[in-house]
Amino acid sequence: MLGVALMGFAGFASLCLAMEKHFNDLLGRKPTSRQLRALKVGGWALLLLSLILAVHGRGWGLGLVEWIAVLMAGVTLWVFGLPYQPRLLLGAALASLVLGPLLAVLAV
Amino acid sequence: MKEGFRQAMAWLHTWTGLIFGWLLFAIFLTGTLSYFKEEISHWTQPEVQSHPLDPVSSLGLAQRYLESNAGHASTWFIRLPSEREAALSVSWRDPNGGGRRGFTDKELDARSGEAVEARDSRGGEFFYRFHFQLQMPHPWGRWLSTFCAFIMLLGLVTGIITHKKIFKEFFTFRPGKGQRSWLDGHNAIGVLVLPFHLMISYSSLVIFMYMVMPASILASYGDSSGYFNDVFGRDEVPKTAAQAAPLAPLTELYAKVQEQAPGARMGYIQVHNPGDRNARVTFTRASADSVAYQRSAIWTFDGVSGELLRRGAPESAAMTTSFTFVGLHMGNFAGPWLRWLYFVFGVAGTAVIGTGLVMWLGKRQLKHAKSERMPGELRLVEVLNIASMSGLLLGVAAFFWANRLLPPAMDGRADWEINAFFLAWGASLLHAMLRSGRRAWGEQLTLGALAFAVLPVLNALTTDKGLDHSIAAGDWAMAGFDLTALATGLFLAWAAGKMLRAPKPVAKRAPRAAKTVEAS
Repeated sequence: MLGVALMGFAGFASLCLAMEKHFNDLLGRKPTSRQLRALKVGGWALLLLSLILAVHGRGWGLGLVEWIAVLMAGVTLWVFGLPYQPRLLLGAALASLVLGPLLAVLAV
Repeated sequence: MKEGFRQAMAWLHTWTGLIFGWLLFAIFLTGTLSYFKEEISHWTQPEVQSHPLDPVSSLGLAQRYLESNAGHASTWFIRLPSEREAALSVSWRDPNGGGRRGFTDKELDARSGEAVEARDSRGGEFFYRFHFQLQMPHPWGRWLSTFCAFIMLLGLVTGIITHKKIFKEFFTFRPGKGQRSWLDGHNAIGVLVLPFHLMISYSSLVIFMYMVMPASILASYGDSSGYFNDVFGRDEVPKTAAQAAPLAPLTELYAKVQEQAPGARMGYIQVHNPGDRNARVTFTRASADSVAYQRSAIWTFDGVSGELLRRGAPESAAMTTSFTFVGLHMGNFAGPWLRWLYFVFGVAGTAVIGTGLVMWLGKRQLKHAKSERMPGELRLVEVLNIASMSGLLLGVAAFFWANRLLPPAMDGRADWEINAFFLAWGASLLHAMLRSGRRAWGEQLTLGALAFAVLPVLNALTTDKGLDHSIAAGDWAMAGFDLTALATGLFLAWAAGKMLRAPKPVAKRAPRAAKTVEAS
């Protein structure tokens, strides 16, 4: 479930960066519209993939419950941590992007 | 038209939120504590030792104890130790015996099978009961808390309608900006944890559905007990045959259940008419084993021949749906990490209510920033805000302090723990009335910080279960409680620091808050 959690976290981070205002604030430059679209598609894809992995690993009942729980926890951490530790969180999102799928594949 | 509707919803959100917010805060906070009900009980009864789980041996010990101490009882109940509960609990009902309705409860050591002389305490059960009964006579507390659940659901729906930029500000939290930050925080916790909030408030209505909408039950059953027997798949129990017959070893019946459901954990085991020809033994699977409650997971045996008489009836689809909501609400199925997330989301729900109450007052205080005295109704809200939030925390702390400081053999000890809770809560109301708003907040939070942060020390001084021992022994329920108390203390100290240090906020913050509102 840690893999799923990390992927969900990276997914929400990506969806957040897909908003122009947050992209500007966090990365300090203007995004191109292609970048924004890529981030948006990537974010949703990560969320969907994490859902599939959760249901695959834990079945519909528990999988769905745990998926929602780790997603809520991840996005809450992101939103409330962002004003204080933006660089740390960006780093964590990047690390989750790598570690998440890796852990998920190992768990399967 | 659209704006009018939104304004009406905002009005409803504001006023129902204010009137029921204080009570909802208490319901949410104690409900959140209830996710660690067994762990809290473990802390409040440190005499009960935890041992590695061995259900077969525990069950044998329970039967031996009950046969020699409760041979004439009409019913036995056995709860085996679990990952979360150290004690082997047995209770029995003796029609001729005293106690509460003839019930006697004992906690046995899971290894020796001897009764443990533990201090009398309701422990986590108190917070759990308070959470939906509000210490009121039956059924009024249940009605009121169910109504509060309805208000919470209403608050969520009206809140979503009122919140204009739910997607645009999905990831937005701007700290250090007075009212703006409170609103951001309120919205963000509300929206990000929305699935939990919706599930909790809706499922509360499902749990007490029989109370809220009793007409169909009364029409088909006449009263609700027949309905419950049907829903939960309980059996009619035969009368005693008045003919003695030895009870089959419960461990053998347990093995039969394990054959049918390998690895099943048992919630409780009930023996009717023990020692009689008509003995019945019922095994009920632990609710920790599945998300939804399962009435099919019940096995009834003939207590003498050991023959399996009946399994629980399967659930209908509608039943599974409501049992799932009930299961999700209680979270019994959650293992350690998911249980912690439940706790965190519970705190988040409490925070949504708390921030809402603070904002209601803050917004109106701005208008009176220049005048010397606050209008009476605002002062009333301020006092109630303080007493209902920091005061409640002081009450919770007082409960735990009383648990460690009251003499173990004292008469009515468990009741005095509860009295300590309400006395501290009441005292905080008095204190809030006597002090100015900011001072009252600061002082109560400081006291709360001390009370919680020192709890682990108090535990170490009064028992042999201090952090050094509990961590070494791997007793994580005990250590987790102490560490959580410490963390709560640190958080309250941080909040108290903000309250006591900051200069008079209204004069300075008013223009800034006004500017940010314009800018957004």
